[in-house]
Formats: sequence, C-alpha cells, structure tokens
Amino acid sequence: MPRRRIYNPLTELLAAALLVVLVLVVNRWEFSFAVLVLVVLPAVLLSGRIRQISLAILLVAGPLLLSSLLLHGLFYPEGRVILLDFGVARVTQEGLSFAAVMGLRMGVFTGVLLTVAMTLDIPDLLATMTHRRWNRKLVFILGSAVGILPHVALRARQITRAQQARGLVVGREPISRFRALLTVTTPLVIGLLVDASERNHMLQARGFSSSVPRTSYLPDTDTPRQRWARRGMAVAVGAFSVLWLGAGVLP
Amino acid sequence: MSSPLTLAPGHSSERPRRMLLVLGGALILATYLFLVTVQPTEIAGGVGSTASLVSLFGFLGGGALLVGGILPMLTTSSLVVMPLGIALNIAIGQIAGSLGMQIYLDAIGTVLVAVLAGPAAGAATGALSNAIWGLFNPFALPFAAGAALIGLLAGLAAKHGAFRRVYLAPVAGLVVGAIGGLVAAPVAVFMFGAAGTFGTNAIIAVFRSMGDKLLVAATKQGLLSDSLDKIVVFVIVALIVYALPQRAVRQFPFARTYRVLGNRSGRRAPQPTSGIGTPAA
Repeated sequence: MPRRRIYNPLTELLAAALLVVLVLVVNRWEFSFAVLVLVVLPAVLLSGRIRQISLAILLVAGPLLLSSLLLHGLFYPEGRVILLDFGVARVTQEGLSFAAVMGLRMGVFTGVLLTVAMTLDIPDLLATMTHRRWNRKLVFILGSAVGILPHVALRARQITRAQQARGLVVGREPISRFRALLTVTTPLVIGLLVDASERNHMLQARGFSSSVPRTSYLPDTDTPRQRWARRGMAVAVGAFSVLWLGAGVLP
Repeated sequence: MSSPLTLAPGHSSERPRRMLLVLGGALILATYLFLVTVQPTEIAGGVGSTASLVSLFGFLGGGALLVGGILPMLTTSSLVVMPLGIALNIAIGQIAGSLGMQIYLDAIGTVLVAVLAGPAAGAATGALSNAIWGLFNPFALPFAAGAALIGLLAGLAAKHGAFRRVYLAPVAGLVVGAIGGLVAAPVAVFMFGAAGTFGTNAIIAVFRSMGDKLLVAATKQGLLSDSLDKIVVFVIVALIVYALPQRAVRQFPFARTYRVLGNRSGRRAPQPTSGIGTPAA
C-alpha cells in the first residue's frame, strides 16, 4: 500500500537533492555507506512500494555498478598495489577502492532520487508549482511529458505488433535493427505530431499564451512551515558545504 | 498557423531573458574549462568533491538558466511538440541503454524538435529531457547541459541546410556528436567515475589498458560513441521528417521560414528579423 504523504513533493525533491549534494561534498565512502543504510534503506522500506523501487534501483544501478567494477577493477593503470595480474588487465587495490567509492556514490544517487521519484505525486507537484507561480510553460512541459510517456510506450508497442503482423522481422544485423527502428518510429512520430497539432489549436483557443496567472484546480498542499523548512535546509547544506570544503582546503 | 486569441506580451522581459541566456552559456563554458584545464588532478587519489560539485552545479545551473531564458520566447506550436520529443528521448534511450549498446540513441526527440521548431526549442528539449529522465534514471541528470548543446547545434545545423539533403545529415551528426562527446566526458568522469553501459565501458577499458588517464580515455570514448550515435540519430531523424506529410511540417514556423527540409518544407515565409529562436507565428 502506498505510504501516507506527509510532506509536499517539492520538499521531498529538495531533501533528496540536498542529500546528494552532501554525499558529493563529504566525498567519503563511510558517509555514503551510512546514508545508504540509515536513510535510503528505511525510506525504501517505508515507501509502501518496496518491490517496485528495489527492482528499479537494481535495473538502473546494477549494470552501471557491475561495469564500473569491471572497468576500474581490471583497468586502472595508476594502481601500484597489484593483487592479480592477467597481462593486459591487472586487479589493483587502488582500482578496487576507486570502484567502491564511485559505486557507493552511485548507489546513494540512484537510491535517493528513485525512491523520491517513484513515490512522487506528480499532479500534486504540478499543482504546487502552479500555486507557487512557477513558469507556466515549464509546468505544462513537465506535466505533459510525464503524462505522455506511458502513451508513447503503449503506441510504440501497438505499432511494433502491427508491423510484425505485416512481416517485420528484427534480425541481429545492425541494418536490420535500424530498418526496424525506422519502421516503428516513423508512424509513431507522425501520429504524435498530429496529436500535438490538435493540442496546439486547443491551447491557443484557451488563451495559453496569455500572461495572467494560472489557476490550479487542485488545492495547495504546501504550507508556510514547509516553505521555511526548504529555505532552512538549503541554507544549512550551503553553509555546511562552505565550511567543509574550506576546512579541506586549509592546511 | 493560428494566432493567439490574447494580446501578445510586451518586450519588457527581453533584457532579463537575454541575460539568462548569456549567463547560462557562460556558466556552462566556465564549468567545462575549469574541469578540463584547472582541475585535472591525478584520478588515482580519488575524484575530488570540488570537481563533482562544480560539474553538477555548473552544468545543471547553466542548463536551468538557458531554459529560463528560452521558455518565454517559444510559441505554443513549439511548446506542444517538446513533451513528445522528451518522451521519445526517454523511451528510445531507455531501450538502447538496457540493450547495452555502444551508442545511446537518447537524442532522437531533441534533434527532431530542433529540426522542426528551431535551435532554442531543441536546446530546451535537451535540457528538460535529461531533467525529467533524471526522475527515472538519475544518471541522466548531470548531462542536461550537454543535451541542451546537442539540441542547439542540431537546430543551427537544420537552419543552415543540413537536413535539405539526406547525405548532409550524417556529416552534421558527426560534428555535433564530437562536440557533445567532448562536453559529456568530464561530467561522466567527475560525477560517476566514467561508469556507463557495458558497451561504452568496454571502449574506455581499451584506452585505459593502453595507459590513458581516465579523463582522456572517457573523452576518446565520448568522441567515438557520441559521433557514431549522432550520425545514426541525425540519419533517423532526417528519414522520419522526410516521411512526414507537408501539413505536419508546415505547422512549424521555423521549418517553414528556413526551409529546413528544402522543397519538402512547403511555401517560403518572410524572413524573421532576429535571433536564433523560433520566429513568431
């Protein structure tokens, strides 16, 4: 069951972004590991979508972590302490350590942002942006792109099936794949452009290009306390970053 | 194309808009120069946190400033096609990434929008595309400025006739891809230690085994993969736009005015007075 929403989507997004900034500022594997265990793991467990989020993190970060481990674990010419020698490829202590630091950083990056994104209430986010007087064109593009994504994927699947029924066979050769990609993308794009043209007329007729403030039909879930909390979090992380990096620069 | 039924906004916002564009471009350029010339400390000691932060804030902030400056100048016909470009980028890019290909194919939507609606719309599509994709794949987020540059250059190439003949499209793709690869390499190195798909990392591994530093190896891989990727993307987009009915192309003032598809663009419209942006409908 999805969790009960406590904070406004903007607050959650900002908190996730600031956590990523903190991980970059501190730049220590111990801190990244602590964030992963003490923040990301509980957040995933309390999200109410444990399976979906875990699977998404695995699918997005898994291949990257594995390829990063292979790249730095086997090919790290700066490494001095050689653990295994395969001729061209050498496993070095420094390479493994670099892969671990980068892997933990990527783990936090993926875990934090995907957990927030997959529990995000997009209509609530767009309503908040409208209430806070964000650029109307930006709000339209964000809402429209997120809304159109499943529609594009579904239409692409339908076109692929229709083309396969007409004899489309995707072979292993690049030319065959290229031809298949064109066979699917061309009708997909034409259909989407026709839809876009109709949407253009409808938006023009409803005064989309006017400059008066827009009204959202959804209530504003943002509170003054959260707005202050957002400013406070940003200032606190900024001040901490300056102090931490300043201390690192000083002898 | 139909004209808005409301009064057009005044020109009072022209100066701040240009200021945002200049600041965004300058920030991206300064970030790139910092990462490539000032920063390159030996990677063996670990990637410095300053480099990662500069990379994240410089490229993301620059991209945000560019989008802030571009959005007010876009017409409704350009705006409605941008979400479709973003959706195409994400849908096709995700498939290419999951197949572990050596190329990305995540700029088809950006280049399509740039060809039809102009460099400004292309740049905004590229930046916003990576920002939205970042919600599903956080690794796309820091590459927003590079994607904006691809959109901008694709639009400029279209304006100067790169899509009037099918054989010109891959040449433009090669140039745009090489520039895109140069910009993307420092981001990949300083943010994620050059981690990518198995295909792209295999290329980096070859250069690393020859003793190249990580930034050099990632730049060479970027030059190879991005150039090949953009050649394929530009050819695909050229073939798609050639297959579009003239009615679909004519709804875009940029494509009409600059005859980006040659005779396929339809009747020639009067020349606009200024700017790289989409001319007013």
